[in-house]
Amino acid sequence: MNGQGLIKGLSVTIKHFFSPKITELYPEVKPKLPESVKADFDLDREKCIACGICANACPNKVITIETEKDENNKRRLKRYEMNMQYCLFCGLCAESCPTKAIITKQNFELAAYSRENTKRLLYQADKAPASETEPGAKE
Amino acid sequence: MAISNQESGFRTQEFVLNMGPQHPSTHGVYRAILTMDGEYVVDVENVVGYLHRGMEKIAEDRTYTQFIPYTDRMDYLAGILNNWGFVMTVEKAMGIEVPERAEYIRVITGELQRIASHLVMVASMALDLNGYTPWMYAFYDREKILDLFEMICGSRLTTSFMRVGGVPNDIPEGFIPKLEKFLAELPGRADDFDNVITGNEIFVGRTKGVGVLDAEAALSFGLTGPNLRASGVNFDLRKAQPYSVYDRFDFEVPLGENGDSFDRYNLRMLEIRQSARIIRQALDTIPEGDIMAKVPKVLKVPKGETYCHIEGSKGLLGFYLVSDGGTKPYRLHLHSPSFVNLGAYPKMAKGTVLQDAIASLASIDIVLGEVDR
Repeated sequence: MNGQGLIKGLSVTIKHFFSPKITELYPEVKPKLPESVKADFDLDREKCIACGICANACPNKVITIETEKDENNKRRLKRYEMNMQYCLFCGLCAESCPTKAIITKQNFELAAYSRENTKRLLYQADKAPASETEPGAKE
Repeated sequence: MAISNQESGFRTQEFVLNMGPQHPSTHGVYRAILTMDGEYVVDVENVVGYLHRGMEKIAEDRTYTQFIPYTDRMDYLAGILNNWGFVMTVEKAMGIEVPERAEYIRVITGELQRIASHLVMVASMALDLNGYTPWMYAFYDREKILDLFEMICGSRLTTSFMRVGGVPNDIPEGFIPKLEKFLAELPGRADDFDNVITGNEIFVGRTKGVGVLDAEAALSFGLTGPNLRASGVNFDLRKAQPYSVYDRFDFEVPLGENGDSFDRYNLRMLEIRQSARIIRQALDTIPEGDIMAKVPKVLKVPKGETYCHIEGSKGLLGFYLVSDGGTKPYRLHLHSPSFVNLGAYPKMAKGTVLQDAIASLASIDIVLGEVDR
């Protein structure tokens, strides 16, 4: 009979109308993402041996590493920067790190007002740790 | 073409209508130059390339592992299947044996991805025919699959999940109960879709007998995947040449009869159920063990040519790899199903009214990231 399908469909929508609401109240309620999510990166400065494997593993040349030699002629990290505007969030850097110094974080709110702000300085030798400057927080 | 105006001595002129590249029903940045005679489509010309990113060239400057994230961005509705096709090609070229557990995880995630991709097709086809409700329902279910991916891959859309030799992450805690719950709910949800879309007289009226492609025509256009099977040709790579561990699972290959838009839609609904069946069996029989084979840190593919393809969500997804023995591909050609399937669109749309042309395009299920790559 014509119209039966429409009535069947309406019965489904009515059923859904009275089922519990599933809307997430973002940004009032922040979602809790699983730990495997790689949305943001941080550097464990103690663990980093400045080998540069992460920079080579990155498909998009996001990571810039500057190193220096210390008094014992050992390589030391001078500057570590991630240019997040080119990041694919594939996590190959964290995966390739031999000392697991790259930490993946679940902070996904990385929007910034300018291109300059998308650069994340994770370490600079003569400066205070920069990871407190959240991207897009200022300006 | 029957045009009543001309019969009554009234002369009409053909005109050109650009559909796209920013038309909502073109699913991205695809443009069709339609030559119209009133409401009737006289000629269709495909214009593609708006989303061209030069993936094949990019591959020549990336190592084999580094190219995996780029394959996500081909068919961005089925990232895992693209990853799979690519790593399988490299594995075949290097002769790597993948551990069984990794193969099972690949099957589970791959079939989940197929369901997700088909759900988008079902949803967007309903949306193109002005049904907004099914779009929401299907995306709600797809969201659950993406949540599962988030747990296991760490990303929702651009998964980058496969690695040459296995998978990077094992099944995390809490994944299987969530997946079981999803599998238990899925049949009921699929019935809901059937009630909302498949049984809907308006939907049936607008898709039955629209964009008909018989088996011969489908084969001559080189269609693959669900679009070919909707025309009644029984060809599914998972059955025809079982790769991975697909030969161990019991599933059916649904076939269409008429090769019209409705069949192409309905076939996806049937395939969703079959994919759920495969996941069920894989979950029951998944072995313990390694998830990565012993693979050298720096991948060097022996000199030579390799072609490998898998049954993607939209058809045969092939990778043709030429290696000069180095760490980067010498040449990588991507054979994408959407691009081939789109070739049949002018034949489907010619001679129909504009509304039917939209229904035909929706039923092919193109993803422009893959057409243009």
